[in-house]
Amino acid sequence: MGLVRLLIFGGIGLTILYFLISIYSKSVRRERLENQWAEDHPEGGDETAREAFVERGMADYESSFRPKLILLVYVIPAIFVVVIHFVTTYT
Amino acid sequence: MLKTIWTAIKVIVLVFFLSVLHYVLPQHDVGRITSTEIIRTDFNGMNRLFYAQADSGASELTTRDLRLINAEIKKTWFLGFGQRESTKVMVYRNEDTGWIWPPYFKFDSSDLQAQAAAEMSNKQNTQWVVITHYGWRNKYLTIYPNAIGVRPVDGPDVTVIPWFNIFFFVFLLVAFGFARAVWAQFRQRTVDPLVRDAEDSWDSVSSNVNEKRGRIGRWLDTWKSKK
Repeated sequence: MGLVRLLIFGGIGLTILYFLISIYSKSVRRERLENQWAEDHPEGGDETAREAFVERGMADYESSFRPKLILLVYVIPAIFVVVIHFVTTYT
Repeated sequence: MLKTIWTAIKVIVLVFFLSVLHYVLPQHDVGRITSTEIIRTDFNGMNRLFYAQADSGASELTTRDLRLINAEIKKTWFLGFGQRESTKVMVYRNEDTGWIWPPYFKFDSSDLQAQAAAEMSNKQNTQWVVITHYGWRNKYLTIYPNAIGVRPVDGPDVTVIPWFNIFFFVFLLVAFGFARAVWAQFRQRTVDPLVRDAEDSWDSVSSNVNEKRGRIGRWLDTWKSKK
């Protein structure tokens, strides 16, 4: 029963954390793309071209490996649970 | 006044947070185990919070047996930093924390009890041990720290490096820094533009309101007695 409870509440908590981190990561990525555009076009440039540039950059990011790294949010705590359990029980 | 209350609230929250950490994080005592015993325990509302639950495979009843480990340990200075010459007695409980709080994932209370019994020694022929535990001993609430592990050592002068606590506080700092970065990004990219928009529309709303108030106010003024 305790294990089920841990999995449910831990799962909820980590899912919230997962979404927070992925939103943050996307936001940072978008800001970087916007800054890059501003650097390349000091006088502003075409608004539609800017939009397309940012969206293309975001699509590249989405299909890259980096966002999948955020899944470590689930893996690392699970490893911690196993390690702490083994240290507590078998040493 | 408001600032004082705010500061007081912040101090209370900080003290509470540090107390929780002091209760939950592992600490190490050096001493010798004098005996082990089992007592029947009836918890009450005040001290129930400071006990774990029945053994992992057992069911939870209002009354149960509690494993205790009696020890004589070296006194320490503040927070366990630095050992003193004098000793004191200490009683540990030995309960499964199971899958629940605090997250030690301890299921081996019976084995730990057997191990503690095996390390038992007397004053003449002392087997020194390091007892890892969390929690507090309080005589008025009748609560005991929960023993997590017992490790035999050669002598009383051992240096225990609290690896877990070091990692924990480093992690806490990193997590705090990350949370701040997330919050700053959220403010900069989401809240501030919203606030700017809201200010713009608020300006137009309030100018409308002022105009309306002006009209209603003028009408209300017609009811006032003219002086």
